[in-house]
Amino acid sequence: MEWLSAMNPAEGLQDALRWIVLFPLFGAAVNGLLGKRLGRANVHLVACGAVFASFVISAIALYTVSFGDVSRITDQWWRWFSIGNVPVEMSLTIDRLSAVMMCVVTGVGFLIHIFSTEYMSHDEGYWRYFAYLNLFVAAMSLLVLGSNLLVMFVGWEGVGLASYLLIGFWYTDDAKAFAGRKAFVVNRVGDFGFLLGIFTLVGLFGTIEFEQLKALSASITPDTVLEAGIFSGWTLGAAITMACLFLFLGATGKSAQLPLYVWLPDAMAGPTPVSALIHAATMVTAGVYMVARLSFLYAWSPTAMATVAVVGALTAIFAALMAYAQNDIKKVLAYSTVSQLGFMFIGVGVGAWWAAIYHLVTHAFFKACLFLGSGSVMHAMRDETDIRLFGGLRKEMWHTWATFGISTIAITGVLPLSGFFSKDAILHGAHANPNLFFPWVPTFTYAIGLVAALSTSFYMWRMFNLTFHGERRGMLEHRAHEGGNAMVGPLWVLAGLAVGSLVWGLPLSGGARFENFLKPVFRAADENIARMTALGAQKLGVPVPPPPAHDFAAMLPGYLIALVVALIGFGIAWYLYLGPGKDIPAKIAQGAPALYRAFANKFYVDEFYQAVIVAPLSATARFLWRVVDAFAIDKLVVNGSAVLTGWIAQLFRYFQDGNVQRYAVVMAVSAVVILWIFLG
Amino acid sequence: MGSVPLAHYLALGSALFAVGFAALLVRRNALVVFMGVELMLNAANMTFLAFSRAHQTMSGQAAAFFVIAVAAAEAAVGLAIMIALVRNRNTLNVDEVDTLKY
Repeated sequence: MEWLSAMNPAEGLQDALRWIVLFPLFGAAVNGLLGKRLGRANVHLVACGAVFASFVISAIALYTVSFGDVSRITDQWWRWFSIGNVPVEMSLTIDRLSAVMMCVVTGVGFLIHIFSTEYMSHDEGYWRYFAYLNLFVAAMSLLVLGSNLLVMFVGWEGVGLASYLLIGFWYTDDAKAFAGRKAFVVNRVGDFGFLLGIFTLVGLFGTIEFEQLKALSASITPDTVLEAGIFSGWTLGAAITMACLFLFLGATGKSAQLPLYVWLPDAMAGPTPVSALIHAATMVTAGVYMVARLSFLYAWSPTAMATVAVVGALTAIFAALMAYAQNDIKKVLAYSTVSQLGFMFIGVGVGAWWAAIYHLVTHAFFKACLFLGSGSVMHAMRDETDIRLFGGLRKEMWHTWATFGISTIAITGVLPLSGFFSKDAILHGAHANPNLFFPWVPTFTYAIGLVAALSTSFYMWRMFNLTFHGERRGMLEHRAHEGGNAMVGPLWVLAGLAVGSLVWGLPLSGGARFENFLKPVFRAADENIARMTALGAQKLGVPVPPPPAHDFAAMLPGYLIALVVALIGFGIAWYLYLGPGKDIPAKIAQGAPALYRAFANKFYVDEFYQAVIVAPLSATARFLWRVVDAFAIDKLVVNGSAVLTGWIAQLFRYFQDGNVQRYAVVMAVSAVVILWIFLG
Repeated sequence: MGSVPLAHYLALGSALFAVGFAALLVRRNALVVFMGVELMLNAANMTFLAFSRAHQTMSGQAAAFFVIAVAAAEAAVGLAIMIALVRNRNTLNVDEVDTLKY
């Protein structure tokens, strides 16, 4: 730990960044190899300690890049290999963006490790669980810290692996093992796009280092027609659009956006703290992080930006609608996560980079808290997840109720909690940022975003009311009990963070604090957007739009609208599930059964995919197996040649009839013939 | 006493060999087939000795001893097989002993 005593922390951190990755990796190795013999106390000591150590380094790094002289620290680890003459460095970089991400990953990760020590205390696979969890933190750190696309990709695949292992953690249950497999396979579709995106960028720029790409992106001229390589004949802008769209396909897989979101609701098969850490707070935000990381490239492609924003908006509303009729407490939260991730993509798609990252951070806090809260409820209710059986849990579980309530207020965007500011920053960005080539995008995303926000408010309050208020509707004989300190503590810390993180988003005169904090990171992107806008204005013959105002006066109407929307959602949920309208939901379900079934069955998207993609694929696979492999190869070629030999041998074998004297005759005649030939 | 010319020995050897081989091919009794084989061996011996004498070398004599040794071994094994045949199948007819096929 010599870097601690070093005079210049930035210098010490150059060699310390790797330890953010290595600590959890060692933790995973120790627990994975020896965990069974270590005993529970040692297992969680190793696991929590490793993550805490990473958190300490991340916090020091965040402090350094926030207040020190340097805004970026790079740890040159080793040269990995070269693609032609493109060197691929195994190096880690931390700047303000990745430092914030790292603190969220390791900080929330640490809290969830603590929570897990109690939540998983009765599980036989305790050591395995913590080994996987540490593996996840290590891979996620690599993803966030990687200073080029390939290192990021290693982390990208690593978190996918950890996610697969943890979703299928209880692998003896077929459904859970299948859920893990589904997540893995769906993510592979996205990863394929991610790889193609990397290849495209290597072909275009000859580098995969973020800093070099950023430097090169400043002098891009989108209308240049490329002459060499596979993109000859394309304009540079079109090629960049393609790279960005491929990378975004990767993001839709990892971050559960349309059309690849289907794995995330099923991922709830994993232990609940896993859902909190991987499938809500950190891993699923990797796509948002990646787009923000490459914002300087997306800035050059209005098409890609519009795609990102529209996909985000559609996902936000679509997932929110699906959450309406879910009765599984974790499924509601899962669809809510998909929906909130959609909000983040709206943010990066309209150029409100900081707002997306800010929402990412606040979402990590309140959604982790909500998931841990649902875990707390499940822990108290014998792993039951059906909210129709709950009710009135407030009396028995005061701490869970309070923290869950705070987080619900935060996610629904009620003043003054953090979710209000982060969500509204995104909506404001969507409203205010022009996209010259797709003028309908800002209005479209803003309108959809508002409806999604209303939906969020409705389904969250519906779940909250059904779970914690009213009277118990099922499991009447069961008495719920609050968890111990290891469970209640993280809940309160996360709830506190969900409230406290509001200070970064307050609309101050010079812009929100978080916005100014991330400005150095996104300067290149903003400049590229300005260049692209000027270029587009020239091309389309329209005046250059003025930069969007974001002082308090400009944001006030948006604030009021967002607040009203959130309160309307709350009001509807209260009226329908606690107030006088209690029997209306049942009436709707009876009056329009087809509508209700469509909602409850998630609009049959899974069935659609099953019919359109999975069934033809498995039919093809069965054809290849039964016809090509089993019949053509095994039967015709392999066994066929043996059978043919047999048939021929059948003809000749009668020469061997067992009569020795006949053999002797043949021998004699042959000898005579041979002698005749050679001597005669 | 004038020496017998080599050609006579060879003619006798050929004749003996032919007789033995004919017995091997046409007789059905295994014992007689066996005797045919002995005849062929001794025809070969006769030829060896004739050449040995004609060329005034001893290697033909040595070969003859080997042949005698082989014939003795063959007789031992062959007769044992025949005894086994009689015991198990009560026949020495080689046409009936043709199970080692296809």
